[in-house]
Amino acid sequence: MGNLMDVCERAITGPVMSEKEFDMKVFIPRLNEVVKTYGIRYDRENPVPSDDRAADHLFDAAVEFMTKVGVYCLDTNRVMQFSREEVLTAVKEAPKVCYAGEGKEAGIFGMRKPDDPKNPWLHVGSGIVSSSEEYATNIVEGYASIPEVNSVNIPGLATLRGLPVAAGSPIEFYATIRGLRIGLEGLRRAGRPGLPIMNHHPTPAVAVTAIAASAPQFGCRPTDGWLCGAMAEMKINFDTLNRVAYLLAWGANVGAESGPMLGGLCGGPAGFTVLCTAYLLMGQLVQKGDYHLNFPFHFRHICSSTRDVIWGVSMAIQATSRNIQVPTIWAPYCGAGPNTKMYFYETAAILLAWTTSGAPSIMSPHPAKAVKVDGITPMEAKFAVEMGIAAAKLNRAKANDLVVRLLEKYESQVGTPPEGSRYQECFDVTTGKPKEEYVRLYHEVKDELSGMGIPL
Amino acid sequence: MEKQEILKSLMATIVEGDQEKARENSKQALLKQIDPLVAVEEGLSKGMAIVGKRFEQGDAFLPELLMAADAFKAAMEILKPVIALQKREVATAGKVLVGTVKGDIHHIGKDIVVTILETRGFSVVDMGVDVPSLTFIEEAEKAKTDVIALSAVMSTTMPAQKEVIDILREKKLRDKYLVIVGGGPVTQKWADHIGADGYGQTAVDAVGLVFKLMSKKR
Repeated sequence: MGNLMDVCERAITGPVMSEKEFDMKVFIPRLNEVVKTYGIRYDRENPVPSDDRAADHLFDAAVEFMTKVGVYCLDTNRVMQFSREEVLTAVKEAPKVCYAGEGKEAGIFGMRKPDDPKNPWLHVGSGIVSSSEEYATNIVEGYASIPEVNSVNIPGLATLRGLPVAAGSPIEFYATIRGLRIGLEGLRRAGRPGLPIMNHHPTPAVAVTAIAASAPQFGCRPTDGWLCGAMAEMKINFDTLNRVAYLLAWGANVGAESGPMLGGLCGGPAGFTVLCTAYLLMGQLVQKGDYHLNFPFHFRHICSSTRDVIWGVSMAIQATSRNIQVPTIWAPYCGAGPNTKMYFYETAAILLAWTTSGAPSIMSPHPAKAVKVDGITPMEAKFAVEMGIAAAKLNRAKANDLVVRLLEKYESQVGTPPEGSRYQECFDVTTGKPKEEYVRLYHEVKDELSGMGIPL
Repeated sequence: MEKQEILKSLMATIVEGDQEKARENSKQALLKQIDPLVAVEEGLSKGMAIVGKRFEQGDAFLPELLMAADAFKAAMEILKPVIALQKREVATAGKVLVGTVKGDIHHIGKDIVVTILETRGFSVVDMGVDVPSLTFIEEAEKAKTDVIALSAVMSTTMPAQKEVIDILREKKLRDKYLVIVGGGPVTQKWADHIGADGYGQTAVDAVGLVFKLMSKKR
């Protein structure tokens, strides 16, 4: 597999075409061809399939899709193409594990297989702006205080001293450093300063800010993780490649990031599952990821808890965990917010499906589509960790039965989910502990889920 | 083919998203002396409405929508010059300027809004992505649009939505335009805070909002 210079060379020598041509004449028709050739079909009745052959078949489809489509460079208007041999070499040379964290908190983020009884890597937190400066430290401290947690995401900041954090401005740089200090302080307060932060940097939109704020004097460590995002769909720009170049030169963990959207350019569930799988190949070929963060979501409902997204991602996890060794965080979004039954049901369904499918990690789902400031608390993280551990004790067939029953509880509300509470409404901001009402709801739902056969 | 059949096949080519057939059937329509405006309204627009409806109901996805829009544009390449020669115009529901704000290169949500607006009979000026705030206003003035629709998909680019509205105020042009905002992290609260006329959580919501605001304006 070539290095980043090889990627850059393809970005300036590949076939030239407009972005629209790439979407309409390459991406859409070739994805449709692959879906048809491989006979990939959505199975509505079984959101958690258990067919290993179908999973391997999906992986083959994704390899073919990758060789037929390539990756579009937005800065040069050229397509980086990869041969089948190159794709398969990338598969063979995939990292297998990611070393993350410092000192006592250093860990090895490794792989799992479908129906694997091994606990997943337990990753919690919200990746985008979700907390005000006032509560962010409390929230990170709460995440890190969950003993089983292996790594965290820290919040980004929307304002600094009341000024909006505008992309590419010096305010963005100052806010990035401030956000990082808040995250590190939260970890220190929990007594776990070495815990890896896997989403550097959540605040900045541009590489220059992210790179500048990564200077070691601000507290970043190469054993944390940096997200280097692809653009929808199968596109990249020099801004992302600049981040990758910097991190590779430093020796820091590169997180190849992508966000496949069901209903977008990939169309329905069949195209979506191929795309989810192919992004892990792109992450190795282009972003050179030490780990991958894929955040799949539904274009209309902006969440990952719909039946078709759960199915598509379950398939993709099975395909990738059986065929390529890339430690991957599958980052979900829930429609409902904290302190609602629906959030717990959505989380249970997602984590049962994806953990039994062989996801290397779980991540606590972003509540309320991640658009509500302070609409996230450590309680959701605690529940997700417990659910991830419980799910690892089950297999896909059992999870399928449970997910179908859970969908019955919330599916009709996916279009109009309850927003839920903000941190300061359901937590005591002084003690950093959940209020009685939220604790009661948590126990009520846990009892209900235990009664369904989930070993919580 | 009879007139009704030609109109039906025009409609079908849009639903199928077939650009070649859309061109051929448009030529047929002109050969059979079908009024080009009737071909648009009774053929092409009906096809777009069907695809738009399917999309809104979740029975079709973005590829079908984009392919239908491309077929519509292919047909219009044939029909539009004839309409122009007759010094007539295709009736529109209004004119909307759409773009992703400065610093933000996400286009899919914006593209969906553009395409649904077109399927619903609006004339759309698509400004693309990473559009400087002042450029939105200059282009809206040039194109004489009714609505400015601003997409921001990152929390750090949302301030640019506010910037456009602030500049409109400074230039004393705020009342001239309806301004709507949308994008992943955008909320109704943010729209209210910056003084936008409306907020659409999804592309379909955004289009419904434009209809609602336009009818109030009239």
